[in-house]
Amino acid sequence: MNHAIQVRGLKKSYGGNIVLGGLDFEIEKGETFALLGVNGAGKTTSLECIEGLRKYDSGTITVNGKMGIQLQSSSLPAHIKPMEAVRLFSKWNKAKIDFTMLNALGIKEATKKQYIQLSTGQKRRLHLALALIGNPDIIFLDEPTAGLDALGRVSLHEQIRKLKSQGKTIVLASHDMAEVESLCDRIAILNNGSIAFCGTAAELTDKIGEKYFIHIKTRQGDSAFETDNIEDTLIALIGDLKQKEIRILDIKVDRGTLERHFIEMARRETE
Amino acid sequence: MNGFLYGVTLQWKLDIRSKSLLVTCYIVPLIFFLLMGGIFTSVMPEMGSTIIQSMIVMSVSMGAFIGLPPSLIETYGSDIKKAYKANGVPICLGLITMFLSAFVHLMITCVVIVLLAPILFEATLPIQLPFFFLALAIYITSSLSIGSVLGLTVKNQAKLTMIAQLVFLPSIMLSGIMFPIEFLPDFLETIGLIFPASWGYRLMLDNGFCFENLWYLTFIFFAAVIVCGIVLKKQKVK
Repeated sequence: MNHAIQVRGLKKSYGGNIVLGGLDFEIEKGETFALLGVNGAGKTTSLECIEGLRKYDSGTITVNGKMGIQLQSSSLPAHIKPMEAVRLFSKWNKAKIDFTMLNALGIKEATKKQYIQLSTGQKRRLHLALALIGNPDIIFLDEPTAGLDALGRVSLHEQIRKLKSQGKTIVLASHDMAEVESLCDRIAILNNGSIAFCGTAAELTDKIGEKYFIHIKTRQGDSAFETDNIEDTLIALIGDLKQKEIRILDIKVDRGTLERHFIEMARRETE
Repeated sequence: MNGFLYGVTLQWKLDIRSKSLLVTCYIVPLIFFLLMGGIFTSVMPEMGSTIIQSMIVMSVSMGAFIGLPPSLIETYGSDIKKAYKANGVPICLGLITMFLSAFVHLMITCVVIVLLAPILFEATLPIQLPFFFLALAIYITSSLSIGSVLGLTVKNQAKLTMIAQLVFLPSIMLSGIMFPIEFLPDFLETIGLIFPASWGYRLMLDNGFCFENLWYLTFIFFAAVIVCGIVLKKQKVK
């Protein structure tokens, strides 16, 4: 059994509002998998159903391994201190009390503060430390870097990569495309309660089409162009600029970011 | 068990850090005791024999109806309850730890009242202290069970403040701790009997520990346990 998680026909609705309309996907052991989607797409509901925090209407969810769940901010009492939270969660999980994770995650200096006094970044890192108690096989991260500054994001990304290198299965929900692109092996894009795409970032690019993005820098300013035919467009653009005697300072060609693909996919689904 | 005991100890510390519980379980009841104890015993010296019970009723009512419910809303009305589920801990654990912690806080306040009242106001100590403390424990348990129902069923703090006052004020005014219950009109006396305060007050008086004063408090406790159980089960299913 290589699946860490297998989801079949997962359905969930609130009243008459269908949030998940029958999700099917698997996550392999050791994989970093992202659930992507705009707000209200059903990311958190899907995660919470898998985590066992939310009851679902129908379908089956199989989880092979011990789960560690990074809860969102505001899921600890306001006056608890980080070390107390670690001690409490360790006792609940019958795990050895180990404060070194607080140090590794850079919140050692905040251990004397109460939860309410921690910054958003410190809270996120504390929740990650708590999720890692008991050495789980599968780690769930819901919007792990939301509200963090650039430094905090980089630091948390490093921790996630470390976990991946230890062979942990990581499932994260996010709408940060850059984060997903840099961290994840595979992604599932949720749209209106169903999976619009499931595969690697490269597969998504293939599915969306052979789009290229050309960025040209001149003394007059920067311009960006989108094309399916890179050769013809480049020749035409360079020829046009040469004719106008505009000097090219820099030129870049890329296949677009995951974010661009995601927007495109969401647009197609809406149409 | 180790985790459970740590949870109760930690909750006790969190309650102290949370100013609202510190105020409702210690500061206000003890200030009220110091002020009103002096006034009552000087205006009506015969109150010396009941001042301990009266002040305890006020303290327990305040701690149980105004102090405990906001902590429960903080946990069960927010994402904190997910921490229990995520760690495979029964969702009722939060309620139990908060209940026990509040019990200890209120018991400490009551012990302070019992110790200080004879010194400060020449109050008479209860004749049978073991029965008195047993009655006190039952009364605190019964009052906290109502506080638990309030904290689990009322969804927001503003509503809770209003409803808690609707339980707290009649408990104080109609329980016989301010003036003898016989002076009240019959319908107010009857209304007073709805709340545990008048029953707890009588139970703690000398020779008051009997089934006649005990059954209603026991009934309240078990009714509250059932209500809390239903509410928590609903939360778990969600």
